[in-house]
Amino acid sequence: MAIPAIGSNSALGGAGVSAPNTSARVRFLRTLFSSKKATAGLVIILVISFVAAFPGLLTHDDPNAAIYGIEQGPSLQHLLGTTLVGQDVFCQLIYGTRLTLVIVVVVSVIATLLSMIIGITAAYLGGLADRSLSLLTDIFLIIPTLPLLIVLAFYLPSGASTMILVLCLTSWAFQARQLRSQGLSLRSRDFLASARVRGERPLYIVLVEIVPTMTSLLAASFLGVAVYVVGFAAGLQFLGLGNSSELTWGTLLYQAQANDALISGNVWWELSPGLAVALLGAGFALLNYAFDEIGNPALRPARRRRDRSAS
Amino acid sequence: MVQSTTPAPGGTGLDSGEPLLRTVDLTRHFRLGGFRSRNMLHAVDSFSMTIGEREIVAVVGESGSGKTTVARLLTMIYPPTRGTIYYRGRAVNHLHSRRDILWYRGEVPLVFQDPYSAMNPVFRVSHGVMRSLKLHRPELDRAGRQREAQRVFDTVGLSPDMLAKFPYEMSGGQRQRVGFAQALAVQPRLILADEPVSMLDVSIRAGVLNMMARLREEEGVSLLYITHDLASARYVADRIIVMYAGHQVETGPADAVLSQPRHPYTQLLLSAAPDPREEPVDIPADSGEPPRVINPSEGCRFAPRCPLAIGVCASVTPELSKMGPAHEAACHVAAEDVERGRPVHRAFSSSPVAGASQSSALPTSETSGPQGRAPVG
Amino acid sequence: MTDPLLEVKDLTVDYQAEYADVRALDHVSLSVAPGEFLGVVGESGCGKSTMLFAIAQLLSPPAVLIGGSVRFTGKDMVRLTEAELRHMRWRDYAVVMQSAMNALNPMKTVAAQFADAIRAHAKMTGKEIRNRSAEVLRLVGIDPAHLDSYPHQLSGGMRQRTMIAMALLFTPQLVLMDEPTSALDVVAQRALMRQIKELQVQLGFAVIFVTHDMSVVSHYSDRVMVMYAGQTAEVGGTRRMFTSPLHPYTRGLMDAFPSIRGNRRELTGIPGSPPDLGHLPSGCRFMPRCPDAMPECAARSPEMFAVDEAQVRCLLYDGQAHQGRIGETA
Repeated sequence: MAIPAIGSNSALGGAGVSAPNTSARVRFLRTLFSSKKATAGLVIILVISFVAAFPGLLTHDDPNAAIYGIEQGPSLQHLLGTTLVGQDVFCQLIYGTRLTLVIVVVVSVIATLLSMIIGITAAYLGGLADRSLSLLTDIFLIIPTLPLLIVLAFYLPSGASTMILVLCLTSWAFQARQLRSQGLSLRSRDFLASARVRGERPLYIVLVEIVPTMTSLLAASFLGVAVYVVGFAAGLQFLGLGNSSELTWGTLLYQAQANDALISGNVWWELSPGLAVALLGAGFALLNYAFDEIGNPALRPARRRRDRSAS
Repeated sequence: MVQSTTPAPGGTGLDSGEPLLRTVDLTRHFRLGGFRSRNMLHAVDSFSMTIGEREIVAVVGESGSGKTTVARLLTMIYPPTRGTIYYRGRAVNHLHSRRDILWYRGEVPLVFQDPYSAMNPVFRVSHGVMRSLKLHRPELDRAGRQREAQRVFDTVGLSPDMLAKFPYEMSGGQRQRVGFAQALAVQPRLILADEPVSMLDVSIRAGVLNMMARLREEEGVSLLYITHDLASARYVADRIIVMYAGHQVETGPADAVLSQPRHPYTQLLLSAAPDPREEPVDIPADSGEPPRVINPSEGCRFAPRCPLAIGVCASVTPELSKMGPAHEAACHVAAEDVERGRPVHRAFSSSPVAGASQSSALPTSETSGPQGRAPVG
Repeated sequence: MTDPLLEVKDLTVDYQAEYADVRALDHVSLSVAPGEFLGVVGESGCGKSTMLFAIAQLLSPPAVLIGGSVRFTGKDMVRLTEAELRHMRWRDYAVVMQSAMNALNPMKTVAAQFADAIRAHAKMTGKEIRNRSAEVLRLVGIDPAHLDSYPHQLSGGMRQRTMIAMALLFTPQLVLMDEPTSALDVVAQRALMRQIKELQVQLGFAVIFVTHDMSVVSHYSDRVMVMYAGQTAEVGGTRRMFTSPLHPYTRGLMDAFPSIRGNRRELTGIPGSPPDLGHLPSGCRFMPRCPDAMPECAARSPEMFAVDEAQVRCLLYDGQAHQGRIGETA
């Protein structure tokens, strides 16, 4: 038997219980920062963003300068050693951050926007429009991602732009379904009927009434796509489908692997970009969990409290 | 109070004696199942009524009676299957142009049942009011809109500083007042209120009901009050329309309908409505089952539950017939009683006479209850 | 004087929120005699549902039972282990939820759900389960053929009655009901209340019936308990409470009912709204809305005072203070 959520705030709603004088936004930020996961994820993302923005602050070398000793191990001058042709690995890692992050963010933004437009419009318009858009979504969902990615990346000129295009195409469909479901559940909410009855146009209703209520879901979508893209972009580049003249963590991985770094004992050359990718993915994933917890208090970790004796 | 003076485009206006709102044979069916399905849900059938200026009319019925569908039809959320809605003399159910639709929406707003669900949780409560003003009062500038928002809040009994609050910060009663404020902002002639107090605590309802009566007095608006609660209908309404299974079964002045209910269903509702101050009344066992409104056949839809049903009730759908001044009911038995000039049958007693659960079909005069109602001849 | 079937003392429940804990239930006590029908009435947020769940040991975080005792059939349920509770659940006491659609599984037939409930608490053969299920359905006036129906195939009234039938599978001594009629229409509500009362008289179980609408219980309960802002405001016999309510809040609630048959008069309701449980006023919680408030109501939080068989939490009935009040202007 399902037990109604006696723990939820609805039971107290009638008595007007709330933290005084705080808006939803402030409460949200407070909750966000009190979550360990959110804090950890946020710190990781911020640090990596900083590195991407100001690579020159962390290293003075030129990433492409092949002037150092060949395949040297980690040392004070070359924190992660050097590559087969004498480039500083650490330096490459730092400078590769920017393009990596750019790819991830651009794809996430475009994919989320695309899924939002298609998903919510399908939900709101209903009928034939909904059916056609859902069909489109399903087609893109069914297409096996990796083979498509490989095929497209093979035919199109290699490089970051292709990577972005290809990843956008394959990552919007899943979120579109989610957003459509959410949009459908909103259809029965009276505030949309209220907007309609006061004379609002459909476009207005979608953009102003529906979208703002879904910000947390959109943020979660964005983060979910980001995790996916981090891994896939690196993976594709690792397979050689990127452009190795562009410097990203993925291409760094490719170079290292292609030059048998592990075999020749130059472990850090291959390991460091891999770890960096994992770290970035973890950062987005942690934030994603935190958003889930904010949206659904039932998922929050139960705090252990000592039972106080009745006063 | 400033009344909307926009003349009805293409209409005759109210000078010709036309009531504010008039529906003729309003009908709405829904197809159940897919395209080819033959199952039609008869939500509303042949609903004809009028509302005049400064009048409060209550439409009373249980869920499934069609009262909510009537509200939705009147706000043009969907078109009727048959029939016409005349507003200020002009047929409005087939309006197409944005200008026309906006005009109608600015004259006949709707207040929703669930005060929390009717507001977007992301915005402050002023949002709906401001948007209504922006859409329907283009003559106002920003400052003018601000003033108007404060004025309508004041009219519904909310202090202007509540405009900045979010829905979750307000109580149910306050939110419902915001709903009325939003309706008032457009300077309407007729407010449609769909069960506005059903989701509020009993102690809060009085305040909102009083406010509704005040709106009629001070703002000069008419109200269509849709509810399942007869007691509150009696409290605010001038006239009551009782609906059952998509049909109107009784209509007339509030006091007349409640003191001399002619239709057995009205009598049942009256007897079942609990009044905590009275002794309990014994009513005959009634299954309380909702009627069949999918592909219904001819005949009175209340007949299966009616202790007074006679042969013709199952085959001929009763029409509204006169029971008294401005008082009509759709019941073969009651119509016959009136025609023959004898006391009208009473299917369900609502007066607490000891043990007198009258379910026989013998004519009985009305018993006088503790409030001393005189028997009706 | 028979021993009470259920005795609740000083039940206290907190909602543990981010900033501070909110006391949803503050030292609430009640007792129910065997076979008694107790109505619990109050506005939303007064804590009546919380109390019901606390008694049934069904609270989940962030609601936490802070203190108090719930003595039922000689045992303190607060101190029992989950295994012991499970043994008592459904056999000795049962709970009927507010909305059948929340509690009934839409994917299973009625028979399957009854069987689940039976199997969880007893060992019976398939045939015995079927027979018992048919028997309880008949008890509530539903054709046993509906055992094979799905919940959505039944009407609202029938679904609620199915819930009640499910609660009666083991003929418990106590049935806790949380607004089981609020989703129903007036006529169905009346029929259901009547049914509950008949069953209660027939099978002899006690009922705690929580509702926000006192008219629903007015004709069926033996005693009524009015709650306000997490506390009991008044407890007493039903008839007396309706004819001469003691607490100003109860009086206000009575006055809020538009009369169907009596004289039409202006309703006042109760101005204002219940207090924010996180920011309670000092002194009496009802004082800000009370038409009979005295100066000391702001300073002193009243305890329950006895007035004949009833009890009321209001300084107007404080014996000593009352003495001093005679002769003063109100």
